[in-house]
Amino acid sequence: MVSDDGAPSRRALLTGTGTALAGGVLALAGCGSVETGKKAVKQTSASVRERDIAILGRALELERRTVAAYIACIPLLTRPERKACRQFLNEELQHTGELTSLIKAAGGKAAPRADSYALGQATDGPSALALLHSLENLQISSYLGWIPQLSPAPVRAAVASILTVDSQHLAMVRVMQDQDPVPVPFVTGST
Amino acid sequence: MISGGGPTRRELLGAGAAGAAGAAGLLALPASAAADASSTGEPPFSETDRLQRLIRLELLLVYCYRYVLASSILGPRAHERLAPFVGHEEAHVAALEARLKARGGAVPVGPDSIKTANRYLANRGVGGRLGQLKGERDALYLLLTLEQVTIGAYFVAMTKLRDSELITLVCQIMGNEAQHDAVIGLSLPKATPGTAVPYGLVQGLQ
Repeated sequence: MVSDDGAPSRRALLTGTGTALAGGVLALAGCGSVETGKKAVKQTSASVRERDIAILGRALELERRTVAAYIACIPLLTRPERKACRQFLNEELQHTGELTSLIKAAGGKAAPRADSYALGQATDGPSALALLHSLENLQISSYLGWIPQLSPAPVRAAVASILTVDSQHLAMVRVMQDQDPVPVPFVTGST
Repeated sequence: MISGGGPTRRELLGAGAAGAAGAAGLLALPASAAADASSTGEPPFSETDRLQRLIRLELLLVYCYRYVLASSILGPRAHERLAPFVGHEEAHVAALEARLKARGGAVPVGPDSIKTANRYLANRGVGGRLGQLKGERDALYLLLTLEQVTIGAYFVAMTKLRDSELITLVCQIMGNEAQHDAVIGLSLPKATPGTAVPYGLVQGLQ
């Protein structure tokens, strides 16, 4: 489904991502990091699991916010940018699936998705890319703070595999903004 | 198993599986014991050893980037994109070396010749050899694979490390290597930002 200007509608984006999410779940079933992380988190003490569930819940909320931002921003982008960002949206959805899976494995329950997110005022392509840039940065800086606090090492590794992809998203969004894709040797969430 | 001064892909894979299993078993141990021992009978894990392995890989990356960038094999666009990466890898080496020295570890040396570098590449299952690259595509694929092997090594390290500061550093470097991976992917023929980031979870080659 494409609107008059060639931009996909929200419904089309959601339908497309729903399909991708199903594919993502299938991929997750064979994903070593998730399975190992789930096994590890089940063996931690209750207090550790509670702390991990709280951190993973905050990460899930941030990923959902980013998903909402991609859905809102994609129609504002050029056709090549839309194509790339649809791919990134699918991957962000996969991240929400992975985090939900880890929360469940720890004996927790993922909080319901918010009805809406305050995302600011993206009105055109450049402001949409700026919003996505800032959210990818926020995810990276947040994960850098959270990962060392997670307890079983396999869970840290599973979450690090999400951080790694968000770092790639950031580099590619910077390319779309005509910026140096990798300006510094360490990802910090501030570039 | 140490071959050519660094771990092989087989060893990394074995370490990853054992590490993940071992980490789960370690949870019942006191933190101090968990840092260096395993309840599964596997050899004790040493942060020093892990740092040395990562540094060896980073030094191989430095050597390969320098070789490729000094040759005329890359087109101007790819050359411009990849040129800063040597400095990034050197910064990683410096950061890891500082942590290694603080733990009293001996700093490993990198390859000193094309022959040695090619042996290290072969040990890690990386296709392509320096001196035999036929064009930009060959060079990009060699660097891409080596970056993915490096990401895999950092991922395996993540399943083992306990020191918070080291975990953060490893995350920061792993993310940077993944960015290199994406930019190299973007430099391949017909690539787009979407095709350069094809997976939702990145663990590298293990």
